[in-house]
Amino acid sequence: MNAHNNLIDSIFEILRKIILRGGIGPVIPAIIFLLFFFAMPLVVLCSFGFVSIDRGVVDWNSISLDHLTSTIKDTLFWHFWWRSFWVGTVSTILCLCLGYPVAYIYTLAGRGWQILILVATISPLLTSALVRTYAWMVILGGRRGVVNSILLDLDFIDRPIRFLYSDFSVILGMTQIHLPFMILPLITVLSARDFSLEQASLNLGASRLKTFFKIIVPISLPGIIAGFALVFAISYTNFIVPQLLGGGNYTTLAVQVYEFIVVILDWNKGAILAFLLLTSCFFFVLGINYIGNWAMKWKEVTR
Amino acid sequence: MSFDDKLGKFLLIALTGFALLMLIVPSAIIVAISFTEKAYIGFPPSGFSLKWYSELLDKQQLIDSAVTSLWIAFVTTVLSILIGIPAAFSLVRGRFLGRSEVTAFVVAPQMLPGMVIGIALLFFGAYFGIYQSNTMVIIAMTVFCLPFAIRVAMARLSIMDSTLDEASASLGSSRLGTFFRITIPQLLPGIVAGGAFVFIEAFDNITVALFTASPRSRPLSVELYNLVQFDSSPIVAAISSLEILFAFLIMLVLARSIGLDKLRV
Repeated sequence: MNAHNNLIDSIFEILRKIILRGGIGPVIPAIIFLLFFFAMPLVVLCSFGFVSIDRGVVDWNSISLDHLTSTIKDTLFWHFWWRSFWVGTVSTILCLCLGYPVAYIYTLAGRGWQILILVATISPLLTSALVRTYAWMVILGGRRGVVNSILLDLDFIDRPIRFLYSDFSVILGMTQIHLPFMILPLITVLSARDFSLEQASLNLGASRLKTFFKIIVPISLPGIIAGFALVFAISYTNFIVPQLLGGGNYTTLAVQVYEFIVVILDWNKGAILAFLLLTSCFFFVLGINYIGNWAMKWKEVTR
Repeated sequence: MSFDDKLGKFLLIALTGFALLMLIVPSAIIVAISFTEKAYIGFPPSGFSLKWYSELLDKQQLIDSAVTSLWIAFVTTVLSILIGIPAAFSLVRGRFLGRSEVTAFVVAPQMLPGMVIGIALLFFGAYFGIYQSNTMVIIAMTVFCLPFAIRVAMARLSIMDSTLDEASASLGSSRLGTFFRITIPQLLPGIVAGGAFVFIEAFDNITVALFTASPRSRPLSVELYNLVQFDSSPIVAAISSLEILFAFLIMLVLARSIGLDKLRV
């Protein structure tokens, strides 16, 4: 009996050490807060797509896949999904093409230029996305838009060009607004790179261009993948830019979620669309990481 | 240098210049327009006046929503620091089972779009008969911002020298004394930077607020969301310019506390 108690005591002692002495205590408020206000709401959000809600009352006996199947069968849904997908992809690629040179120059530049690049990257990041979207509305607007009024003053055009409310304006706005999210991970990776590799490549007679594409770009792949996944995820789920720069008729999946929940107040439909947006985004990010790991296979060999 | 190299170098510099201009110019145009004398938005702006700023002060609705936003940002920052800093301690210095899983869990909200967090809390509240309010915005904003506070503090803690704490303890200082005299001063830049970041995010985030804010007391971001769509007067440019100025002030705080090159998003 006594031995039995000792065993239990020592198990308790080990558990106590693991739980308390290990210092898990201070993180417990964060865990409880997020379980209650993040994990549980997320479960509710997902489940709302699979039950019927009638005048704010949830009928838990009506669990079915009806909302899911009717949504997936709707060709309009695929139309909006496709727009979300390609607009997100194009603007992410543009972010990479513009962000990479900035991050690369950052690693070669003197202190003054480095500070300028950081200020130019971080100040927009801290400015409200709404303000920056508004700036594009002003720049691309009709007769009084900045670009149009300059072109009209210079007599390059007779009547204003319609920039706003098109794929062009949405992609341009998204690219500019998400550019800092691409530049920062790239700066992190490129600053930490081993500069002797490219020196060796140059000494061995490779051209600068070849060194750039054969040495620098491959070693910065982790940053490219991180930036690409992040920017794709936020572009794919952005509904402010398509709404404001795309106009009333420009609908994407994320805009649909907003419309159904806030404007039409059909929470069933909104919940299932949000669920589909979230899961598809998750799989795209997984896919990007998978492709990235495949592209970095050579690293395993060198190890 | 070969022709290809020269072309490559030219492209590199041209793209960088273009990207930097693209980042800065739109905000600069908004600031320039906010000083216009005319009653509509036009470019180039004509004259110089502060009339749109003084007009701003007459709009009680805007002042109220700015106060609401400041209150939301303040409470969110305090909550994020109170919950986030201890959590960062556990996650960096603690040794317990499942530490990496817990870390992944507490930074998870950052991986989700703000919209999803907003909608999830809206539905969750509605299920228990709780409706949109400032409290709901604060809770949603804290969920959204907590990962920032935790990650900035974790980054700071991981470069901090824990032997200083041990030295202090072995020289006879109490645990509390060590904590307040050695640990906290070292961590302070991380707390300030994380707090500043959370404050500005909670102040101007729209995707979370749009779903959780009550229609009766709207934060500035939601108010601005409507103005941008339906008001074409330069007053919107004036509000925007103030927000741009605010972002620069926060950036100064970040630069002075941890340095801009240490900031990770």
